[in-house]
Amino acid sequence: MRWGLDGVTVRFGSRVALADVTVPAEPSAVTVVVGGDGAGKSTCLRSLVGLVRPDEGRVSRPPKTRIGYVPATGGLYPDLTVAENLAFAVSSYGVRGADVGAMLDRIGLAGARDRLGGRLSGGMQRKLSVGLALIHGPDLLVLDEPTTGVDPVSRMELWRLVSGAAAGGTAVVVATTYVNEAERGTRAVLLDDGRVLADGSAADIAAGVPGAVGRRRARDGVSPGGEWWRRGAGWRVWSPSGDLPEGTEAVRPDLHDAAIVAALAAERGTGGRSAGAKEE
Amino acid sequence: MWAMVTKEFRQLRRDRRTLAMMIVLPVLLLVVFGYAASFNVHEIPTVVVGPGASRAAASLRPPFDVTRVDAGADESAARSDIAHGRAVVALVTRPGTGMSVLLDGTQLFSAQAAQSALARTGALGASAHVTILYNPRLKTSWIMVPGLAGLILAFVGTVITSLGVVRERQAGTLEQLAVMPLRPWDVIIGKIIPYFLVAAADLTAIVVIGRLLFGVPFAGNVGVFALGAMLFLLVTLGMGVLISTVSQNQGQAIQLALMTLLPQILLSGLIFPLSSMAAGVRWISYVLPLTYFVRLSRAVMLKGTSITGLWQPLVLLALLGVAVLGLAVLRFRRDLAPGGGDGDEEPAVRESVTA
Amino acid sequence: MLAQAQEVSVRFGSFTAVRAVNMTVGPGEVVGLLGANGAGKTTLIRVLLGLLRPSAGRARLFGARPSLETRRSVGYVPQTLGLYSDLTVRENWSFAASAFGRAGTRVPADLRPWEDDLVGGLSLGVARRVAFAVALSHEPKLFVLDEPTSGVGPLGAARLWQEIRQAAEQGAGVLVTTHNMEEAEQCDRLYVMVAGRVEAEGAVAEVIGDRTVLEVRCADWMRAYQALDDHGFAVQAHGSVLRVPVPPGERDTVTGLLEHAGMDVTVRVRPAGLEEAFMAILGDGRAAHDPHGAQAGGSAHA
Repeated sequence: MRWGLDGVTVRFGSRVALADVTVPAEPSAVTVVVGGDGAGKSTCLRSLVGLVRPDEGRVSRPPKTRIGYVPATGGLYPDLTVAENLAFAVSSYGVRGADVGAMLDRIGLAGARDRLGGRLSGGMQRKLSVGLALIHGPDLLVLDEPTTGVDPVSRMELWRLVSGAAAGGTAVVVATTYVNEAERGTRAVLLDDGRVLADGSAADIAAGVPGAVGRRRARDGVSPGGEWWRRGAGWRVWSPSGDLPEGTEAVRPDLHDAAIVAALAAERGTGGRSAGAKEE
Repeated sequence: MWAMVTKEFRQLRRDRRTLAMMIVLPVLLLVVFGYAASFNVHEIPTVVVGPGASRAAASLRPPFDVTRVDAGADESAARSDIAHGRAVVALVTRPGTGMSVLLDGTQLFSAQAAQSALARTGALGASAHVTILYNPRLKTSWIMVPGLAGLILAFVGTVITSLGVVRERQAGTLEQLAVMPLRPWDVIIGKIIPYFLVAAADLTAIVVIGRLLFGVPFAGNVGVFALGAMLFLLVTLGMGVLISTVSQNQGQAIQLALMTLLPQILLSGLIFPLSSMAAGVRWISYVLPLTYFVRLSRAVMLKGTSITGLWQPLVLLALLGVAVLGLAVLRFRRDLAPGGGDGDEEPAVRESVTA
Repeated sequence: MLAQAQEVSVRFGSFTAVRAVNMTVGPGEVVGLLGANGAGKTTLIRVLLGLLRPSAGRARLFGARPSLETRRSVGYVPQTLGLYSDLTVRENWSFAASAFGRAGTRVPADLRPWEDDLVGGLSLGVARRVAFAVALSHEPKLFVLDEPTSGVGPLGAARLWQEIRQAAEQGAGVLVTTHNMEEAEQCDRLYVMVAGRVEAEGAVAEVIGDRTVLEVRCADWMRAYQALDDHGFAVQAHGSVLRVPVPPGERDTVTGLLEHAGMDVTVRVRPAGLEEAFMAILGDGRAAHDPHGAQAGGSAHA
């Protein structure tokens, strides 16, 4: 492993924010850290860039000047124009011969160079933030939820920036709440409550679901046995033993199913406080 | 480091509000303190009554500004002039050489100026007997407590109310209220009543504590005082709601609310006497609601003025209240008002406005 | 029909936010309103909720014009949840209950563990469940949700969808506005809005239709990505697999281009996903109505 977190545990007081979490960051690869609000994604990324000191485990990263980091909120000055934001990044990183014009083209904001950061749409702001983090050609790019709340067009463009950086040799770590974005990475780490639920490529995670997953139409309702949840109008069921309840049709789990199964399995393991997805 | 300095200047240039405050505020303060902030009284409205009125009046020099000379009137007429604020000093001449002077103790600085002017010039001889009405020991606390009561009402009404409404807007709960089966009036009144009650409790506390700690009298009618306070509170609540409808966040609301409070503190007569302000600045005082409430509360608490003597501030407060609260409600209603379902009813002109 | 928009247009000055939109939400169905920011979703919802008067056309709730009366049968969860963060779960619940004339009801059993917690201190997943429960407390006939599961983990989202489906199965109509494909895929029917117009509608499969993309597999995906990017293709990397949003006819061009550069590639035609279909619809819509502003290949700019 070139860079990344290796068995990292972070405690804030008595609360365990991360428990034995490993997140690799390899050159020319995109690692996607997936989880809901409070899963520990930000702590993970902040540990990686050195803003949080882990209590246990090892963190390796390139020197500070070779890292580009975009926090979940902010990352740009709303009262400076697009060009002024980039100019500030250039001078504060001390980049020689940085091509602000080329970066404007790359992030698709050439037509908005004189607009104030705060007046841009959410998607444009995120693209500008990523542009600021890329201006010095970092070896490690760390993006905290760049696509949250961003509309689909900007989301596609943001992922093109990510892929482009990786294709150019940068190691990229991206946090997201959208499970389907795990497919965008060469590797995904599913986080919940500070623990790793599953990791590997999206295909590996889907293929590694223990037991069996089945489906049933909405009007047939649920029956005892297994853990049930909704998928569209119908039902999905997971049986850890592999024996599906009567009247269900086995399906090959996709990444979405796998993420839910992983969370259910973890909840069983720790005796989670809710009654599970099944509803009587 | 230069990167930081350039960035900071660029940001400063864009923040118009802060920039405005940095430039406008010093200028404003200079003007206010230069023209308004003065404890020196140059004109003291004076009436002279009794048989020797003309002669006594002729002996008076500035700062005394004789507004009425009435040989036929007696002491009760003079007291009435002071009670209604028509004069601060009254000279009552009696047959023979007897003479007494009445001073309005609620006009602290004018009364003090009159006292020292009388002593300095000795114009009236040693025989004059000086009586200070309403505030015999010229205590500052006696005139500050009624004024502070107004300031507290203005603070609760404007700052706290605007924050309460802006918080709902920022949190997105205002939109939720708009889709609940609540009429706009339910929301507005429901939003205002708690602040109204808090302000009323505050007011009671100030008056009671003022009495207990400083012995401030309450000479007048509680009902008149309550009526004045209610009208004044309606104005300030209206300003609070109005500010909230033009503010995007709590910071902006506080900034705006303070910009309405500052001139009221400085120019309402709460601290500096209106009579010592330059005419141009005094004109501003006359559109500030606190000016009227300060006048009213001092009159009721210290002088015991009845409702007939206070119709002017009451009517003006009521007019201000109707205007400000009405405007506020109209604007606020727009945020909550249901739009109906049909576009057909819109005037046809709207149709042709397409780009 | 529970909710209906007929030829609804909304103009703000010279800007047209919604153009002649027709849409319906019937009992028991979960309808998605999918669009980019500024596509007109929120404006249309505001018209349906009666918060905004359309410039033209008609909005109907339960067959009548939106009014104080129709609001009694609407449950609405905005993206900001519409809860008071400085009140507890119980206090939020009783405020909404009183507003809907149902004072005295108790917080649902599954939320009682948090009954005395301030809403501001809850995790987003639990806060969303509270918002759902509050909005469903008066058994609305129409349930309107703005990005109902955003920010919640997959299991939490599945549980929220259970609530939504249960409401629909009890006869409510559900309208979900979103730009999140995972949420859109959960809906029975979608309306895809582009620049104020409905450009596509139907079930997810109908919206995707027979749209395809090219899937490129190559040992050196980075080089292939850069080559395609350099040639102006809006290529998207999914791990080391590349997807190129162009018609099947371009397959030979793409293959030729990469082989010419000395790469060993496999290029296949694959069915498009909802996100890719959405981008194509967006590109088509812009090309049809604004030929100058649109770009080929669905790589239109925001």
